[in-house]
Amino acid sequence: MQRRQFLKSMAIVGASSVLPASATLLTAPVVPAMVNVKQLFNDALAVHPELIGFANVERNFEPQTLSLEGRIPADLHGVFYRNGPAKHERGAIRYQHAFEGDGMLQRFEIKNQNIVHRGQFINTPKFSQEQQAQQFVYSGPETKIAHALPVVTPDTVNTANTNIIAVGDDLWALWEAGSPTKIDRDSMQFQQQVHLGAESKYANTLQGLPFSAHPKVDPSGDIWNFGLHPSGNIVLYHLAANGNVKNAGVINTQYRGAMLHDFLITDKHLLIILPSLFTDKSIDGHFEQIKYNTDIPMRVLVISKQSLTVIKHYELPAGFVFHYGNAWEEINGTIHFDASLYPDVNVLHKLSNVMQGKIEQASTKAKTALITLHTEGHYSMQIMPGTSEFPRVCDHVVGLKNHYLYHLSAKTNSLWSDTLSSLNTDTGAEQHYHFGEDYLVEEHISVCPKAIENTGYLIGTALHVPTKRTCLNIFAVNDLSSGPIARAWLPYHLPLGFHGNFMPS
Amino acid sequence: MSINSQKINVNSNKLTQVILTSILCSSLFTSSVFAADISFEIEGVNAQPSKIYAQLFNSQDSYSKGEAFSATYLQAKQGINKVIFTNIPVGQYAIRFFQDENNNGTLDTNLFGMPSEGYGFSNNAKPNYGPVGYQDAAFTVTEQQDPVINQTHIIY
Repeated sequence: MQRRQFLKSMAIVGASSVLPASATLLTAPVVPAMVNVKQLFNDALAVHPELIGFANVERNFEPQTLSLEGRIPADLHGVFYRNGPAKHERGAIRYQHAFEGDGMLQRFEIKNQNIVHRGQFINTPKFSQEQQAQQFVYSGPETKIAHALPVVTPDTVNTANTNIIAVGDDLWALWEAGSPTKIDRDSMQFQQQVHLGAESKYANTLQGLPFSAHPKVDPSGDIWNFGLHPSGNIVLYHLAANGNVKNAGVINTQYRGAMLHDFLITDKHLLIILPSLFTDKSIDGHFEQIKYNTDIPMRVLVISKQSLTVIKHYELPAGFVFHYGNAWEEINGTIHFDASLYPDVNVLHKLSNVMQGKIEQASTKAKTALITLHTEGHYSMQIMPGTSEFPRVCDHVVGLKNHYLYHLSAKTNSLWSDTLSSLNTDTGAEQHYHFGEDYLVEEHISVCPKAIENTGYLIGTALHVPTKRTCLNIFAVNDLSSGPIARAWLPYHLPLGFHGNFMPS
Repeated sequence: MSINSQKINVNSNKLTQVILTSILCSSLFTSSVFAADISFEIEGVNAQPSKIYAQLFNSQDSYSKGEAFSATYLQAKQGINKVIFTNIPVGQYAIRFFQDENNNGTLDTNLFGMPSEGYGFSNNAKPNYGPVGYQDAAFTVTEQQDPVINQTHIIY
């Protein structure tokens, strides 16, 4: 090698010297708590049986035919997959935040008037290693484990615990700080952490980047997503339906909130919405240090789908959002979207408190906000009555004008949701089904075989606390208030999970 | 990417100065200051025909700025690779290295700057929810030991 070339190469080592520093997609975990979180939770569970949805899961759930009430519609056949954290404890240690547990998939196969359930931990590299060691060997983002092995990249501790989508013939289990996790559809076995863009012009440039848990699939089948770096840089992805990368880019947003869960698409744009969060680095724990500041407006970045660059900014009042339902835009560029909008970030910390068995009676709930971004730069916002979380729309209207929004709400339950709701976003008309205070209701999704809104079904799970059993519920979407047309019972309960999707057969 | 290029150019100039300065300094002071060799052993290197580039730093400040006290490279071979720094004055040092697996003369990274080629540090220091600091990788060259042996494992 010529001396000049050598010097140049070494200079690059110099420039790259901070690179491993950039590997920090998560911040340092907290010092070991003096309190015994597991004991606190168990003590609380004895008094508050509704905490059972946050209890640790020891093993996979073997295939089980559900006991059926009502009748499954003839045009509903396929598999409903759900994902969520389930391995919260190993040995004497219990994780301190509900987002830390290893992901477990729930598979409900609906076929021939029958529903068969199977539940399986995702055998990620982390899960596999810790299963073998019979203890946690890595610190989580919140929970410090003594003598832990180093977490060299986010994928080292990728729990794949938040969502599950179909990509080509595979499933991708998603987590928001690292790579998608490829899963076999039938066996639900772990295949590999997906190397996005491999063997394309992107080579290794997308490897290990965060791929968030709420990709949006537009009606063409293309998949859009983002990933946040704590520096405020956000990577944007445009994938084909088979997962091949069509385009990727990075925008620098200066966002310092360290958490961004969901986003939106229209037919022309991506909407990245940055909530009123900042991180207090003097506090230990990735989630604990995320704070809310009413002086920080929510910022909406309107991004061209074509160029993946920001073309417009809007400022909204301070707020925090985990989940959005849908966005769409008029021919003149006016953009409409909805959000389950919180007035603070207490919900995030509540998911830490509940791991210690603390139930807050007066907790903050989100409400549906219908927001319009006008082309002149101003906005208008309508807040709907009642509470709102886990908003969904029909798959075929993602990014297009929707007339209906489906979501959960809580009439009385302070811990989770107890009601399924449908909102006509044109008229404001609502329908509700209140499960009753004995149920912890999970995300219900739209299954729309005719691809016509207000036809088809909403399906989802609910945990019946008194009998410690989980049921799968099927509603006719146009007649929610009459209750489920079919309900199928497991003989036991499943851990409360996050998100799922239906894959028709 | 343009920002990165600027950084590289700046560092290139600085690095040239550092190397020249270090050559001058070592020739001036060799007679008056005890010096030893450092044998840095990197385990677990793959069979990819490539070079390993290593940098030696002698302070927190120079480590942070990427201004190496000395730098070298070698042809990588599968298994254990030894990087030798000769005639190093008594003091505290840290080493970092990368394996240029695709022979493009640079440490490739993903879009967020995480290495996508093999790399590592002295003391077998590893990133852990954050970067490897100078102190994590620091070791001393003393009058008692020559050569100083430091071992590590490459991170892929």
